[in-house]
Amino acid sequence: MKKYLYVVKTQIIKSMTYEFNVYGNILMQTIIMITSAFFWKALYAGQGNVGGVDADSMLTYIIVSSLLSVLFLTNVERRIQLSVQKGTVATDMMKPINPFGVYFAEDIGNIIALVFQNMLPILIIGCLLIKVPKMADIRDLPLFLLSVVLSFLINWLISALFGMIAFTAVNIDALIQVKKHLIRLLSGSIIPLWFFPPAVSKVLGAFPFVYIYQLPLSIYIGKGDCAEHLMQMGIQSIWLAILCGIFLFVHNRVTKKVMVQGG
Amino acid sequence: MKKALCELGHYFEVTMHVIKMAFLTIIEYPSNIAGWLISNPLQFIVGFATIKFVVEAFGEINGWNYGQLAFLYGISVISHALSMIFFVQGWFMGYFVIEGEFDRYLTRPLGVLYQFFFTNINIFGITDLIPGILVFVYGCVKCQVHVNAWFLLQVIVMLIGATLIRGGIYILIGSTSFHTRNAVDFGQYTQEIMDKTTMYPISMYPESIQFILTFLIPIGWVSFYPVSSLLGIGNGFANGLLVPFLTLLIGILMMLLAGAYFKAGLKKYESAGN
Repeated sequence: MKKYLYVVKTQIIKSMTYEFNVYGNILMQTIIMITSAFFWKALYAGQGNVGGVDADSMLTYIIVSSLLSVLFLTNVERRIQLSVQKGTVATDMMKPINPFGVYFAEDIGNIIALVFQNMLPILIIGCLLIKVPKMADIRDLPLFLLSVVLSFLINWLISALFGMIAFTAVNIDALIQVKKHLIRLLSGSIIPLWFFPPAVSKVLGAFPFVYIYQLPLSIYIGKGDCAEHLMQMGIQSIWLAILCGIFLFVHNRVTKKVMVQGG
Repeated sequence: MKKALCELGHYFEVTMHVIKMAFLTIIEYPSNIAGWLISNPLQFIVGFATIKFVVEAFGEINGWNYGQLAFLYGISVISHALSMIFFVQGWFMGYFVIEGEFDRYLTRPLGVLYQFFFTNINIFGITDLIPGILVFVYGCVKCQVHVNAWFLLQVIVMLIGATLIRGGIYILIGSTSFHTRNAVDFGQYTQEIMDKTTMYPISMYPESIQFILTFLIPIGWVSFYPVSSLLGIGNGFANGLLVPFLTLLIGILMMLLAGAYFKAGLKKYESAGN
Protein backbone atom coordinates (compact mmCIF):
# COMPACT_ATOMS: atom_id res chain seq x y z
CA MET A 1 0.00 0.00 0.00
CA LYS A 2 2.81 2.38 0.92
CA LYS A 3 4.41 1.80 -2.45
CA TYR A 4 1.25 2.85 -4.24
CA LEU A 5 0.85 5.92 -2.06
CA TYR A 6 4.34 6.90 -3.11
CA VAL A 7 3.29 6.63 -6.76
CA VAL A 8 0.27 8.80 -6.00
CA LYS A 9 2.52 11.40 -4.41
CA THR A 10 4.99 11.55 -7.30
CA GLN A 11 2.14 11.80 -9.78
CA ILE A 12 0.64 14.75 -7.89
CA ILE A 13 3.98 16.53 -8.04
CA LYS A 14 4.32 15.69 -11.73
CA SER A 15 0.88 17.06 -12.54
CA MET A 16 1.59 20.25 -10.64
CA THR A 17 4.63 21.02 -12.81
CA TYR A 18 3.04 22.32 -15.96
CA GLU A 19 1.38 25.61 -15.26
CA PHE A 20 0.28 26.53 -18.75
CA ASN A 21 -1.61 23.26 -19.17
CA VAL A 22 -3.66 24.13 -16.14
CA TYR A 23 -4.75 27.57 -17.31
CA GLY A 24 -5.46 26.24 -20.80
CA ASN A 25 -7.61 23.45 -19.43
CA ILE A 26 -9.57 25.72 -17.12
CA LEU A 27 -10.21 28.18 -19.93
CA MET A 28 -11.38 25.51 -22.35
CA GLN A 29 -13.56 23.71 -19.83
CA THR A 30 -15.13 26.99 -18.84
CA ILE A 31 -15.97 27.76 -22.44
CA ILE A 32 -17.47 24.31 -22.90
CA MET A 33 -19.54 24.61 -19.73
CA ILE A 34 -20.83 28.06 -20.60
CA THR A 35 -21.73 27.17 -24.18
CA SER A 36 -23.71 24.17 -22.89
CA ALA A 37 -25.47 26.41 -20.41
CA PHE A 38 -26.57 28.76 -23.20
CA PHE A 39 -27.59 25.79 -25.31
CA TRP A 40 -29.99 24.63 -22.62
CA LYS A 41 -31.18 28.15 -21.91
CA ALA A 42 -32.08 28.57 -25.60
CA LEU A 43 -33.91 25.26 -25.61
CA TYR A 44 -35.85 26.01 -22.45
CA ALA A 45 -36.82 29.51 -23.60
CA GLY A 46 -40.57 29.71 -23.11
CA GLN A 47 -40.88 26.14 -21.81
CA GLY A 48 -41.24 25.41 -18.13
CA ASN A 49 -40.73 21.75 -17.66
CA VAL A 50 -39.50 19.27 -20.25
CA GLY A 51 -38.97 15.61 -19.46
CA GLY A 52 -39.73 16.26 -15.80
CA VAL A 53 -36.87 18.72 -15.33
CA ASP A 54 -36.90 22.52 -15.37
CA ALA A 55 -34.26 24.87 -16.80
CA ASP A 56 -32.76 25.62 -13.41
CA SER A 57 -32.08 21.95 -12.58
CA MET A 58 -30.65 21.48 -16.05
CA LEU A 59 -28.09 24.24 -15.45
CA THR A 60 -27.10 22.58 -12.19
CA TYR A 61 -26.80 19.33 -14.13
CA ILE A 62 -24.42 20.96 -16.62
CA ILE A 63 -22.18 22.47 -13.94
CA VAL A 64 -21.95 19.31 -11.86
CA SER A 65 -21.39 17.25 -15.01
CA SER A 66 -18.41 19.49 -15.87
CA LEU A 67 -17.07 18.99 -12.35
CA LEU A 68 -17.50 15.23 -12.51
CA SER A 69 -15.78 15.04 -15.88
CA VAL A 70 -12.59 16.07 -14.08
CA LEU A 71 -12.84 12.98 -11.90
CA PHE A 72 -13.42 10.74 -14.86
CA LEU A 73 -10.24 11.66 -16.71
CA THR A 74 -8.21 8.49 -17.00
CA ASN A 75 -4.80 7.96 -18.45
CA VAL A 76 -4.61 4.21 -17.94
CA GLU A 77 -5.49 3.28 -21.53
CA ARG A 78 -2.78 5.54 -23.01
CA ARG A 79 -0.36 4.40 -20.34
CA ILE A 80 -0.87 0.74 -21.27
CA GLN A 81 -0.59 1.50 -24.97
CA LEU A 82 2.66 3.39 -24.44
CA SER A 83 4.24 0.70 -22.29
CA VAL A 84 3.30 -1.99 -24.82
CA GLN A 85 4.61 0.06 -27.75
CA LYS A 86 7.86 0.93 -26.04
CA GLY A 87 8.27 -2.49 -24.47
CA THR A 88 8.52 -1.08 -20.94
CA VAL A 89 5.61 -3.28 -19.96
CA ALA A 90 8.12 -6.11 -19.46
CA THR A 91 10.12 -4.16 -16.90
CA ASP A 92 6.91 -2.88 -15.32
CA MET A 93 5.88 -6.44 -14.72
CA MET A 94 9.21 -7.41 -13.20
CA LYS A 95 8.85 -4.81 -10.48
CA PRO A 96 7.55 -6.05 -7.14
CA ILE A 97 4.29 -4.14 -7.54
CA ASN A 98 1.35 -4.79 -9.81
CA PRO A 99 1.61 -2.55 -12.90
CA PHE A 100 -2.14 -1.99 -12.94
CA GLY A 101 -1.96 -0.92 -9.32
CA VAL A 102 0.63 1.62 -10.40
CA TYR A 103 -1.55 2.87 -13.26
CA PHE A 104 -4.46 3.21 -10.84
CA ALA A 105 -2.31 5.06 -8.34
CA GLU A 106 -1.08 7.39 -11.10
CA ASP A 107 -4.62 8.20 -12.14
CA ILE A 108 -5.59 8.84 -8.52
CA GLY A 109 -2.62 11.16 -8.10
CA ASN A 110 -3.49 12.97 -11.29
CA ILE A 111 -7.07 13.45 -10.18
CA ILE A 112 -6.09 14.74 -6.75
CA ALA A 113 -4.00 17.40 -8.47
CA LEU A 114 -6.84 18.18 -10.89
CA VAL A 115 -9.37 18.64 -8.09
CA PHE A 116 -7.41 21.70 -7.01
CA GLN A 117 -6.23 22.79 -10.43
CA ASN A 118 -9.44 22.35 -12.41
CA MET A 119 -12.43 21.35 -10.37
CA LEU A 120 -12.37 24.18 -7.83
CA PRO A 121 -11.72 26.94 -10.41
CA ILE A 122 -14.49 25.56 -12.62
CA LEU A 123 -16.86 25.43 -9.66
CA ILE A 124 -16.08 29.03 -8.80
CA ILE A 125 -16.47 30.19 -12.40
CA GLY A 126 -19.71 28.23 -12.74
CA CYS A 127 -21.07 29.83 -9.57
CA LEU A 128 -20.16 33.31 -10.74
CA LEU A 129 -21.23 33.09 -14.37
CA ILE A 130 -24.09 30.59 -14.41
CA LYS A 131 -25.53 29.82 -11.00
CA VAL A 132 -24.67 28.21 -7.69
CA PRO A 133 -25.21 24.50 -8.26
CA LYS A 134 -27.17 23.83 -5.09
CA MET A 135 -28.10 20.27 -4.32
CA ALA A 136 -31.83 19.58 -4.49
CA ASP A 137 -31.88 17.77 -1.16
CA ILE A 138 -28.80 17.91 1.02
CA ARG A 139 -29.80 14.65 2.77
CA ASP A 140 -28.95 12.81 -0.44
CA LEU A 141 -25.32 13.88 -0.15
CA PRO A 142 -23.94 10.55 1.22
CA LEU A 143 -25.84 8.70 -1.50
CA PHE A 144 -24.42 11.07 -4.13
CA LEU A 145 -20.84 10.68 -2.90
CA LEU A 146 -21.12 6.90 -2.76
CA SER A 147 -22.50 6.74 -6.29
CA VAL A 148 -19.69 9.02 -7.52
CA VAL A 149 -17.12 6.63 -6.07
CA LEU A 150 -18.81 3.68 -7.77
CA SER A 151 -19.02 5.69 -11.01
CA PHE A 152 -15.34 6.47 -10.81
CA LEU A 153 -14.46 2.80 -10.42
CA ILE A 154 -16.74 1.74 -13.28
CA ASN A 155 -15.25 4.39 -15.52
CA TRP A 156 -11.70 3.41 -14.59
CA LEU A 157 -12.34 -0.28 -15.19
CA ILE A 158 -13.89 0.40 -18.60
CA SER A 159 -10.83 2.48 -19.51
CA ALA A 160 -8.46 -0.19 -18.24
CA LEU A 161 -10.30 -2.88 -20.21
CA PHE A 162 -10.06 -0.79 -23.38
CA GLY A 163 -6.40 -0.23 -22.59
CA MET A 164 -5.74 -3.95 -22.32
CA ILE A 165 -6.77 -4.37 -25.95
CA ALA A 166 -3.39 -2.75 -26.63
CA PHE A 167 -1.72 -6.02 -25.62
CA THR A 168 -3.00 -7.59 -28.82
CA ALA A 169 -3.78 -4.63 -31.09
CA VAL A 170 -0.73 -2.49 -30.10
CA ASN A 171 -2.28 0.71 -31.46
CA ILE A 172 -5.58 1.63 -29.83
CA ASP A 173 -5.87 5.35 -30.55
CA ALA A 174 -9.08 4.77 -32.46
CA LEU A 175 -10.55 2.51 -29.82
CA ILE A 176 -9.91 5.13 -27.17
CA GLN A 177 -11.99 7.49 -29.30
CA VAL A 178 -14.74 4.89 -29.64
CA LYS A 179 -14.86 4.59 -25.87
CA LYS A 180 -14.94 8.34 -25.45
CA HIS A 181 -17.88 8.80 -27.81
CA LEU A 182 -19.79 5.88 -26.34
CA ILE A 183 -19.46 7.35 -22.89
CA ARG A 184 -20.34 10.84 -24.09
CA LEU A 185 -23.59 9.79 -25.68
CA LEU A 186 -24.66 6.89 -23.52
CA SER A 187 -23.73 8.18 -20.08
CA GLY A 188 -25.90 11.28 -20.15
CA SER A 189 -22.89 13.53 -19.64
CA ILE A 190 -24.11 15.94 -22.31
CA ILE A 191 -27.74 15.04 -22.95
CA PRO A 192 -29.55 13.25 -20.13
CA LEU A 193 -31.20 10.06 -21.28
CA TRP A 194 -34.67 11.20 -20.24
CA PHE A 195 -34.78 13.30 -23.41
CA PHE A 196 -34.27 10.15 -25.48
CA PRO A 197 -37.23 8.15 -26.76
CA PRO A 198 -38.45 5.92 -23.89
CA ALA A 199 -37.56 2.66 -25.65
CA VAL A 200 -33.98 3.82 -26.29
CA SER A 201 -33.41 5.02 -22.76
CA LYS A 202 -34.83 1.79 -21.37
CA VAL A 203 -32.35 -0.27 -23.40
CA LEU A 204 -29.48 2.02 -22.39
CA GLY A 205 -30.40 1.52 -18.74
CA ALA A 206 -29.06 -2.00 -19.09
CA PHE A 207 -25.59 -0.75 -20.05
CA PRO A 208 -23.00 0.41 -17.52
CA PHE A 209 -22.51 3.85 -19.10
CA VAL A 210 -25.62 5.45 -17.63
CA TYR A 211 -24.31 4.75 -14.16
CA ILE A 212 -21.18 6.81 -14.77
CA TYR A 213 -22.70 10.28 -15.14
CA GLN A 214 -26.43 10.24 -15.10
CA LEU A 215 -27.08 8.39 -11.86
CA PRO A 216 -25.01 10.64 -9.58
CA LEU A 217 -26.31 13.69 -11.42
CA SER A 218 -29.94 12.59 -11.04
CA ILE A 219 -29.37 12.16 -7.33
CA TYR A 220 -27.81 15.61 -7.21
CA ILE A 221 -30.65 17.44 -8.93
CA GLY A 222 -33.27 15.31 -7.18
CA LYS A 223 -34.77 13.68 -10.25
CA GLY A 224 -36.65 10.58 -9.17
CA ASP A 225 -37.23 9.42 -5.60
CA CYS A 226 -34.98 7.71 -3.11
CA ALA A 227 -36.22 4.18 -3.84
CA GLU A 228 -35.50 4.66 -7.53
CA HIS A 229 -31.99 5.90 -6.77
CA LEU A 230 -31.28 2.97 -4.48
CA MET A 231 -32.43 0.50 -7.09
CA GLN A 232 -30.24 2.14 -9.72
CA MET A 233 -27.29 2.09 -7.35
CA GLY A 234 -27.92 -1.62 -6.96
CA ILE A 235 -27.56 -2.05 -10.71
CA GLN A 236 -24.49 0.19 -10.56
CA SER A 237 -22.90 -2.11 -7.97
CA ILE A 238 -23.75 -5.17 -10.04
CA TRP A 239 -22.05 -3.59 -13.04
CA LEU A 240 -19.03 -2.77 -10.92
CA ALA A 241 -18.81 -6.40 -9.82
CA ILE A 242 -19.17 -7.66 -13.41
CA LEU A 243 -16.48 -5.29 -14.67
CA CYS A 244 -14.18 -6.29 -11.81
CA GLY A 245 -14.66 -9.92 -12.79
CA ILE A 246 -13.89 -9.25 -16.45
CA PHE A 247 -10.91 -7.14 -15.46
CA LEU A 248 -9.38 -9.88 -13.29
CA PHE A 249 -10.01 -12.51 -15.96
CA VAL A 250 -8.43 -10.46 -18.74
CA HIS A 251 -5.65 -9.33 -16.43
CA ASN A 252 -4.61 -12.90 -15.72
CA ARG A 253 -4.70 -13.80 -19.38
CA VAL A 254 -2.67 -10.85 -20.69
CA THR A 255 0.02 -11.00 -18.05
CA LYS A 256 0.66 -14.62 -18.99
CA LYS A 257 1.50 -13.86 -22.57
CA VAL A 258 2.92 -10.43 -23.07
CA MET A 259 3.96 -9.45 -26.53
CA VAL A 260 6.76 -6.94 -26.49
CA GLN A 261 7.64 -5.04 -29.62
CA GLY A 262 11.23 -5.42 -30.65
CA GLY A 263 11.95 -8.50 -28.59
CA MET B 1 5.99 32.95 -64.38
CA LYS B 2 7.39 29.77 -65.84
CA LYS B 3 9.49 29.21 -62.75
CA ALA B 4 6.46 29.62 -60.52
CA LEU B 5 4.51 27.10 -62.59
CA CYS B 6 7.43 24.71 -62.45
CA GLU B 7 7.53 25.00 -58.69
CA LEU B 8 3.80 24.47 -58.44
CA GLY B 9 4.19 21.34 -60.57
CA HIS B 10 6.88 20.12 -58.24
CA TYR B 11 4.65 20.67 -55.21
CA PHE B 12 1.87 18.78 -56.98
CA GLU B 13 4.16 15.84 -57.70
CA VAL B 14 5.32 15.71 -54.09
CA THR B 15 1.73 15.88 -52.88
CA MET B 16 0.76 12.88 -55.02
CA HIS B 17 3.68 10.91 -53.70
CA VAL B 18 2.91 11.86 -50.12
CA ILE B 19 -0.72 10.77 -50.48
CA LYS B 20 0.47 7.40 -51.77
CA MET B 21 2.75 7.02 -48.76
CA ALA B 22 -0.07 8.02 -46.44
CA PHE B 23 -2.16 5.17 -47.83
CA LEU B 24 0.70 2.75 -47.26
CA THR B 25 1.19 3.81 -43.65
CA ILE B 26 -2.45 3.53 -42.70
CA ILE B 27 -2.65 -0.10 -43.74
CA GLU B 28 0.17 -0.94 -41.35
CA TYR B 29 -2.18 -1.53 -38.44
CA PRO B 30 -5.38 -3.12 -39.78
CA SER B 31 -7.13 -3.08 -36.42
CA ASN B 32 -6.51 0.64 -36.29
CA ILE B 33 -8.29 1.21 -39.61
CA ALA B 34 -11.27 -0.72 -38.31
CA GLY B 35 -11.17 1.38 -35.17
CA TRP B 36 -11.24 4.70 -37.04
CA LEU B 37 -13.94 3.41 -39.36
CA ILE B 38 -16.10 2.84 -36.30
CA SER B 39 -15.04 5.75 -34.14
CA ASN B 40 -15.31 8.67 -36.54
CA PRO B 41 -18.79 7.95 -37.91
CA LEU B 42 -19.84 7.08 -34.36
CA GLN B 43 -18.86 10.54 -33.21
CA PHE B 44 -21.28 12.12 -35.68
CA ILE B 45 -24.02 9.62 -35.06
CA VAL B 46 -23.68 10.69 -31.44
CA GLY B 47 -23.90 14.34 -32.38
CA PHE B 48 -26.78 13.91 -34.75
CA ALA B 49 -28.72 11.70 -32.35
CA THR B 50 -28.31 14.44 -29.77
CA ILE B 51 -29.90 16.98 -32.08
CA LYS B 52 -32.69 14.63 -33.10
CA PHE B 53 -33.65 13.72 -29.54
CA VAL B 54 -33.38 17.26 -28.28
CA VAL B 55 -35.46 18.68 -31.11
CA GLU B 56 -38.05 15.96 -30.59
CA ALA B 57 -38.31 16.86 -26.92
CA PHE B 58 -38.25 20.64 -27.34
CA GLY B 59 -39.61 21.37 -30.81
CA GLU B 60 -37.20 23.93 -32.20
CA ILE B 61 -33.89 25.59 -31.41
CA ASN B 62 -34.19 29.35 -31.87
CA GLY B 63 -36.51 29.03 -34.83
CA TRP B 64 -34.48 26.35 -36.58
CA ASN B 65 -36.44 23.22 -37.29
CA TYR B 66 -35.15 19.68 -37.54
CA GLY B 67 -34.40 19.66 -41.29
CA GLN B 68 -32.57 22.99 -41.15
CA LEU B 69 -30.50 21.79 -38.22
CA ALA B 70 -29.59 18.65 -40.17
CA PHE B 71 -28.45 20.84 -43.08
CA LEU B 72 -26.35 22.99 -40.74
CA TYR B 73 -24.94 19.91 -39.05
CA GLY B 74 -24.02 18.35 -42.41
CA ILE B 75 -22.11 21.44 -43.54
CA SER B 76 -20.36 21.60 -40.20
CA VAL B 77 -19.26 17.96 -40.33
CA ILE B 78 -18.12 18.11 -43.96
CA SER B 79 -15.97 21.17 -43.32
CA HIS B 80 -14.66 19.52 -40.18
CA ALA B 81 -13.71 16.42 -42.18
CA LEU B 82 -11.92 18.47 -44.84
CA SER B 83 -10.01 20.37 -42.19
CA MET B 84 -9.11 17.04 -40.56
CA ILE B 85 -7.68 15.74 -43.81
CA PHE B 86 -5.51 18.76 -44.53
CA PHE B 87 -4.91 20.62 -41.29
CA VAL B 88 -5.17 18.21 -38.37
CA GLN B 89 -1.41 18.48 -37.83
CA GLY B 90 -1.98 21.94 -36.40
CA TRP B 91 -3.32 20.24 -33.28
CA PHE B 92 0.00 18.53 -32.69
CA MET B 93 2.28 21.43 -33.53
CA GLY B 94 3.35 21.71 -29.90
CA TYR B 95 4.88 18.25 -29.97
CA PHE B 96 6.77 19.09 -33.15
CA VAL B 97 8.18 22.19 -31.48
CA ILE B 98 9.18 20.44 -28.26
CA GLU B 99 10.68 17.40 -29.94
CA GLY B 100 12.57 19.43 -32.52
CA GLU B 101 10.73 17.80 -35.43
CA PHE B 102 10.84 20.98 -37.48
CA ASP B 103 14.57 20.42 -38.07
CA ARG B 104 13.73 17.92 -40.76
CA TYR B 105 11.44 20.31 -42.59
CA LEU B 106 13.78 23.27 -42.33
CA THR B 107 16.52 21.43 -44.19
CA ARG B 108 14.35 20.55 -47.19
CA PRO B 109 13.79 22.85 -50.16
CA LEU B 110 10.02 23.08 -49.74
CA GLY B 111 7.81 25.42 -47.71
CA VAL B 112 7.86 24.44 -44.05
CA LEU B 113 4.14 24.88 -43.54
CA TYR B 114 3.43 22.88 -46.68
CA GLN B 115 5.63 20.01 -45.52
CA PHE B 116 4.23 20.13 -42.03
CA PHE B 117 0.69 19.59 -43.26
CA PHE B 118 1.13 17.53 -46.37
CA THR B 119 3.81 15.04 -45.39
CA ASN B 120 1.41 13.97 -42.66
CA ILE B 121 -1.77 14.14 -44.67
CA ASN B 122 -4.54 12.43 -42.78
CA ILE B 123 -6.37 10.13 -45.18
CA PHE B 124 -8.51 8.83 -42.31
CA GLY B 125 -10.41 12.11 -42.45
CA ILE B 126 -12.48 10.47 -45.19
CA THR B 127 -14.22 8.51 -42.45
CA ASP B 128 -15.57 11.83 -41.18
CA LEU B 129 -16.54 12.99 -44.63
CA ILE B 130 -18.95 10.15 -45.34
CA PRO B 131 -21.31 10.66 -42.38
CA GLY B 132 -21.13 14.40 -43.05
CA ILE B 133 -22.28 14.01 -46.63
CA LEU B 134 -25.05 11.62 -45.58
CA VAL B 135 -26.44 14.03 -42.98
CA PHE B 136 -26.11 16.94 -45.43
CA VAL B 137 -28.06 15.13 -48.15
CA TYR B 138 -30.67 14.14 -45.57
CA GLY B 139 -30.93 17.78 -44.52
CA CYS B 140 -31.31 18.89 -48.16
CA VAL B 141 -34.17 16.43 -48.61
CA LYS B 142 -35.87 17.49 -45.36
CA CYS B 143 -35.59 21.17 -46.28
CA GLN B 144 -36.75 20.47 -49.84
CA VAL B 145 -33.85 22.44 -51.22
CA HIS B 146 -34.01 23.26 -54.90
CA VAL B 147 -30.67 21.93 -56.17
CA ASN B 148 -29.22 23.75 -59.16
CA ALA B 149 -25.78 24.81 -60.36
CA TRP B 150 -25.88 28.09 -58.40
CA PHE B 151 -26.74 26.23 -55.18
CA LEU B 152 -23.92 23.74 -55.72
CA LEU B 153 -21.45 26.54 -56.40
CA GLN B 154 -22.49 28.28 -53.20
CA VAL B 155 -22.11 25.09 -51.18
CA ILE B 156 -18.67 24.33 -52.60
CA VAL B 157 -17.40 27.88 -52.10
CA MET B 158 -18.76 27.87 -48.57
CA LEU B 159 -17.07 24.55 -47.79
CA ILE B 160 -13.69 25.74 -49.08
CA GLY B 161 -14.01 28.91 -47.03
CA ALA B 162 -15.11 27.01 -43.92
CA THR B 163 -12.21 24.56 -44.23
CA LEU B 164 -9.73 27.43 -44.54
CA ILE B 165 -11.20 29.18 -41.50
CA ARG B 166 -10.90 26.02 -39.42
CA GLY B 167 -7.38 25.35 -40.72
CA GLY B 168 -6.36 28.92 -39.95
CA ILE B 169 -7.61 28.59 -36.39
CA TYR B 170 -5.71 25.32 -35.88
CA ILE B 171 -2.51 26.92 -37.16
CA LEU B 172 -2.98 30.00 -34.99
CA ILE B 173 -3.53 27.90 -31.87
CA GLY B 174 -0.72 25.50 -32.76
CA SER B 175 1.74 28.31 -33.42
CA THR B 176 1.40 29.58 -29.86
CA SER B 177 3.62 26.62 -28.95
CA PHE B 178 6.61 28.47 -30.43
CA HIS B 179 6.15 31.09 -27.72
CA THR B 180 4.96 28.99 -24.80
CA ARG B 181 7.41 26.12 -25.46
CA ASN B 182 4.73 23.77 -24.29
CA ALA B 183 3.09 20.86 -26.02
CA VAL B 184 -0.53 21.42 -25.15
CA ASP B 185 -2.94 19.21 -27.01
CA PHE B 186 -5.81 21.62 -27.53
CA GLY B 187 -7.27 19.49 -30.28
CA GLN B 188 -9.98 17.94 -28.21
CA TYR B 189 -11.11 21.23 -26.72
CA THR B 190 -10.88 23.10 -30.00
CA GLN B 191 -13.08 20.50 -31.57
CA GLU B 192 -15.55 20.61 -28.72
CA ILE B 193 -15.89 24.36 -29.03
CA MET B 194 -16.09 24.19 -32.82
CA ASP B 195 -18.80 21.55 -32.53
CA LYS B 196 -20.86 23.70 -30.19
CA THR B 197 -20.53 26.78 -32.34
CA THR B 198 -20.87 25.34 -35.84
CA MET B 199 -23.38 22.54 -35.38
CA TYR B 200 -26.01 24.68 -33.67
CA PRO B 201 -27.17 28.16 -34.66
CA ILE B 202 -25.03 30.71 -32.83
CA SER B 203 -28.07 32.96 -32.50
CA MET B 204 -28.85 31.02 -29.32
CA TYR B 205 -25.87 32.65 -27.59
CA PRO B 206 -25.98 36.12 -26.06
CA GLU B 207 -25.02 39.03 -28.29
CA SER B 208 -21.57 39.44 -26.78
CA ILE B 209 -20.65 35.87 -27.72
CA GLN B 210 -22.19 36.30 -31.16
CA PHE B 211 -20.04 39.37 -31.63
CA ILE B 212 -16.89 37.42 -30.72
CA LEU B 213 -17.83 34.58 -33.05
CA THR B 214 -18.53 36.99 -35.89
CA PHE B 215 -15.67 39.46 -35.71
CA LEU B 216 -12.91 38.20 -33.43
CA ILE B 217 -12.86 34.43 -33.93
CA PRO B 218 -14.80 34.03 -37.17
CA ILE B 219 -16.35 30.65 -36.36
CA GLY B 220 -19.80 31.98 -37.15
CA TRP B 221 -18.80 32.15 -40.80
CA VAL B 222 -17.94 28.44 -40.93
CA SER B 223 -21.54 27.37 -41.04
CA PHE B 224 -24.06 29.64 -39.34
CA TYR B 225 -24.07 32.71 -41.59
CA PRO B 226 -23.72 30.98 -44.97
CA VAL B 227 -26.26 28.27 -44.13
CA SER B 228 -28.82 30.65 -42.72
CA SER B 229 -28.54 32.84 -45.80
CA LEU B 230 -28.83 29.80 -48.09
CA LEU B 231 -31.92 28.54 -46.31
CA GLY B 232 -33.36 32.03 -45.97
CA ILE B 233 -33.48 32.07 -42.16
CA GLY B 234 -32.99 35.54 -40.77
CA ASN B 235 -29.82 35.88 -38.70
CA GLY B 236 -30.10 39.62 -38.29
CA PHE B 237 -26.69 40.33 -39.69
CA ALA B 238 -25.52 38.81 -42.95
CA ASN B 239 -28.21 37.84 -45.40
CA GLY B 240 -28.09 37.49 -49.14
CA LEU B 241 -26.80 35.18 -51.79
CA LEU B 242 -23.21 36.34 -51.61
CA VAL B 243 -22.61 35.31 -48.00
CA PRO B 244 -20.91 32.00 -48.99
CA PHE B 245 -18.36 34.05 -50.96
CA LEU B 246 -17.80 36.18 -47.90
CA THR B 247 -16.98 32.96 -46.03
CA LEU B 248 -14.37 32.15 -48.66
CA LEU B 249 -12.87 35.61 -48.37
CA ILE B 250 -12.67 35.35 -44.58
CA GLY B 251 -11.13 31.88 -44.95
CA ILE B 252 -8.37 33.22 -47.19
CA LEU B 253 -7.74 36.12 -44.80
CA MET B 254 -7.55 33.71 -41.84
CA MET B 255 -5.05 31.55 -43.70
CA LEU B 256 -2.84 34.54 -44.56
CA LEU B 257 -2.95 35.70 -40.97
CA ALA B 258 -2.18 32.21 -39.65
CA GLY B 259 0.68 31.80 -42.13
CA ALA B 260 2.22 35.09 -41.01
CA TYR B 261 1.89 34.15 -37.34
CA PHE B 262 3.43 30.74 -38.01
CA LYS B 263 6.37 32.34 -39.83
CA ALA B 264 6.93 34.76 -36.97
CA GLY B 265 6.86 31.83 -34.55
CA LEU B 266 9.25 29.75 -36.63
CA LYS B 267 11.87 32.47 -36.21
CA LYS B 268 11.80 31.78 -32.49
CA TYR B 269 12.14 28.05 -33.04
CA GLU B 270 15.39 26.67 -31.67
CA SER B 271 14.98 22.91 -31.90
CA ALA B 272 15.32 20.47 -29.01
CA GLY B 273 18.31 20.27 -26.63
CA ASN B 274 21.86 19.16 -27.38
